[in-house]
Amino acid sequence: MSSTGIGASVPRKEDRRHLHGQSTFVGDLKFPRMLDVAFVRSPVAHALIKTPEIDAEDRARVFTAVDVEAIAPIVADGTIPGYIRTAYPVMARDKANFVGQILAACLGSSRAEAEDVAERVFFDFDELPAIVDALAATDAAAPAIHPELTDNVFHRLELGEDFPDIRASAPVRLTRTYKLARQAIVPLEGRGVVALWDERANQLVVYSSTQSPHLIRNGLAEFLKLDQNRIRVVAPDVGGGFGYKAILHPEELILGFLAYKLKRPLRWLEDRREHLTAGANCREHIYNVTVYGDTQGQLLGLDAEVIVDAGAYSIWPHTCAFDAIQAAGILPGPYQLKNYRVVARTVATNKPPIQAYRAVARPGACFATELTIDALAREVKREAYLVRRENLVPVEAMPYRSVTGKLYDSGDYRQSLDIALGAIDLAGLRAEQQARLADGRPLLGVGFATYTEHTGVSTSVLAWMGTRLMPGHEQAAVRITPDGGVDIRTGVQSHGQGMETTLAQVASDVLGIDVDAIQVTHGDTALTPYSTGTYASRCMIMVGGAVADACDRLIGRMRMAAAHLMQRRPDELVFRDGAFHADAASMSVGEIAHIVYFAPAELPPDMDSAGLEVIGGYRPKTDTGAFAYSTHVAVLEIDRDFATVKLRDYVAVDDCGIQVNPMIVDGQILGGIVQGIGTALYEEVRYDESGQPQASTFADYLVPGCGDVPAIRLFKTETASPFTRFGIKGVGEGGAIAPPAAIVNAVNDALLPFGAEIGEVPASPARILRALQNVGLGPGFVAGGAS
Amino acid sequence: MIDIVLTINGERVEASIDPRLSLADFLREKLHLTGTHIGCEHGVCGACTIHLDGVSARSCITLAAACDGHDVKTIEGFEDDSTMSAIRTEFSREHALQCGYCSPGMLMTSYDLVTRFPGLDEADIRREMSGNLCRCTGYQGIVRALQNVYAMNQQQD
Ligand code: FES
Ligand code: FES
Repeated sequence: MSSTGIGASVPRKEDRRHLHGQSTFVGDLKFPRMLDVAFVRSPVAHALIKTPEIDAEDRARVFTAVDVEAIAPIVADGTIPGYIRTAYPVMARDKANFVGQILAACLGSSRAEAEDVAERVFFDFDELPAIVDALAATDAAAPAIHPELTDNVFHRLELGEDFPDIRASAPVRLTRTYKLARQAIVPLEGRGVVALWDERANQLVVYSSTQSPHLIRNGLAEFLKLDQNRIRVVAPDVGGGFGYKAILHPEELILGFLAYKLKRPLRWLEDRREHLTAGANCREHIYNVTVYGDTQGQLLGLDAEVIVDAGAYSIWPHTCAFDAIQAAGILPGPYQLKNYRVVARTVATNKPPIQAYRAVARPGACFATELTIDALAREVKREAYLVRRENLVPVEAMPYRSVTGKLYDSGDYRQSLDIALGAIDLAGLRAEQQARLADGRPLLGVGFATYTEHTGVSTSVLAWMGTRLMPGHEQAAVRITPDGGVDIRTGVQSHGQGMETTLAQVASDVLGIDVDAIQVTHGDTALTPYSTGTYASRCMIMVGGAVADACDRLIGRMRMAAAHLMQRRPDELVFRDGAFHADAASMSVGEIAHIVYFAPAELPPDMDSAGLEVIGGYRPKTDTGAFAYSTHVAVLEIDRDFATVKLRDYVAVDDCGIQVNPMIVDGQILGGIVQGIGTALYEEVRYDESGQPQASTFADYLVPGCGDVPAIRLFKTETASPFTRFGIKGVGEGGAIAPPAAIVNAVNDALLPFGAEIGEVPASPARILRALQNVGLGPGFVAGGAS
Repeated sequence: MIDIVLTINGERVEASIDPRLSLADFLREKLHLTGTHIGCEHGVCGACTIHLDGVSARSCITLAAACDGHDVKTIEGFEDDSTMSAIRTEFSREHALQCGYCSPGMLMTSYDLVTRFPGLDEADIRREMSGNLCRCTGYQGIVRALQNVYAMNQQQD
């Protein structure tokens, strides 16, 4: 067997070019006559726009909404019940709806010159009251952002049956409100687009820093009204995505349109200020939760209201309803819960359009559920891990149909929690906590969070959601080269996940060929089979399945040739280690390939002439998804004067099924956790009452740095999914889910002696101090506060 | 326009430039040395880190004009450097990169640490590397890679 198959921590093929500064990101592309684009963006959140003033000499290089009116407004539709369609114009013409919305595109021979032009364009506005708060948005007196919407509600969803008996009889009933701040996604490389007209191919070529090249091609065709074969989309190296680059953005349409019209290469590279302001677009949820339990903390019922602050527009193709649908479906979490009711609303405000950031709504839903479990535990005066454990779905109940109809496929959730508990010394920490309380040192807190994550979302689930353009299956092209190597072509895009390595590992596993002889090509619509792209922790399951299927088919084809050449019946041959064997005789893939390509006369005339290149496909037979799961524990200290939080220890116990490359799996988990730490402690774009974002640089938008995070300790179990090829589950997003919950549970654990708690992230010093003020304590809160 | 003469990766470069041009843009746009990346253009993320007269510096907030007469080294200038080669090997072994966008800056800062500050421990490394942001890796692989390099250097001493 090749040692580079599934389960091997093979070093990544992609590392070399990056470590030598030889990668090619969109910003590294150069084309003759290329011009740079700078956008004029709205400086106000909600305003009527007056006719702009443009200097005569700039007229040929400034394009406003009238100049691009041939671009159809972006409309994200779908068959989502309760969702109302609205239009997102690529440039605002009459009314601006958020700070950062595009008003004009300006061209120059460098970005600096394009910005000089942009500075000379003058827009005047009649300002309207801005809606900054999602709760105020639904007030009947609030101004309307879209005339089509009632009370600014894009989407309303109600799930579950009422449970009046539980409501009346449950011995414990608690109500809490939770909030997650608006965040920016912050891949280190911003978005970027280079668009040009290729006369030879008769195609508009759009290089974009995107996770989903084929999807962008669909979108460009739909809104530019071009045939799909007039468009090629290429995603070269992409510097992180995390969902930010998984959708169609107005800049792609504008650049594509102008390059087509002007027949000149155009480039736009998002700068950090644009990203943090116009791109402050995720995570902002509010949860109102009432939980019903017994005196031991057993969950009896959950009543939830979810409000998603969607910003001003609905994004394409997933729509703005994606967060709410997911939150509503996963709020019951990994728990046995029979009674659940939820009302979710997706609300328009004058902020950038919400989109799915790593793990979409799950960090929010997990935050609400896990804080509620801890609140329940505090109420019944038991250790939170015990209450959590008793409520978790037991392994005997797998596969388990959740109250919202999700089929949790496999896994021992309680074992996950037990391993996490075993990784820390809870008794020792409890003793230290008491000692610290008395002696005035920083407070100590311990917090747990457990979640289950729906990965590899496939056809039937997506159809249920009603989202368009996401078929939930996948294809991959695989070719045996004449010298016995392998070419894999896939329509997804790898931008840190290491799929140039892991997809090669899948082929290596099936074909018995070393990964060094396997090449993966991705990210170019001209070269790869159709795919909706990289998102939702789907690629390893779906593309991995498609690659394996293609390899199986190739083995079948080669078997016929080998049987003829080896003078055996096909079923007498055993395929192993990259060769067909019969007794002592064997023939390698390379030998067969050589004959198929170069000496076909040696094969019988009726031999399949399709050669050694196939498109394989994959859709799991049971396509309800593979549920990965994890328990996180945070141990932290809170400074008594400044209420700053210092993470002292962080543990994660993950089960993502069979791991293709454990080194890469660890990397995905670690990266996700640190993003989750950002959500939990630092990252926030606040808005003032006029809708102005208050963070526009990395000095006021804090991304976790190397010194802010502890060495994270990872543990794992490997429970194969019964539903996917190889038993793989997705892992790309999971790490980001639990840190807000685990960390705030730890903060509340530390604050428990003072009777204070918080229910918001980021758990900034200001929020912690406010919680203490609410119970009559100020900075320097001392041991005396404990009762 | 002003004229400058400087050394870049050991080669003499003469150029006539706009006084407002940043060193990062000069390297990337005029010299096509695109290994130096841009992540913020305000001096926080470290993606644009280069060496100016042998010490790490941020090319996004350094004016090209101010580099007249100076020595600049970028990630492209370390192809035959054994120390950088060792750092690269450990970065790959410890999975210290995912998308790779931060990597050139990380390597340039790492090289500066390893060559100028011997004997750093994990806490030192975390503090010293905190001027380079990575959104993908969670830093653990980067810290481990540097710990390995320090351990190797110690053995050699
Ligand atoms: S680009 Fe220079 S520090 Fe970020
Ligand atoms: S590897 Fe992507 S930013 Fe560091």
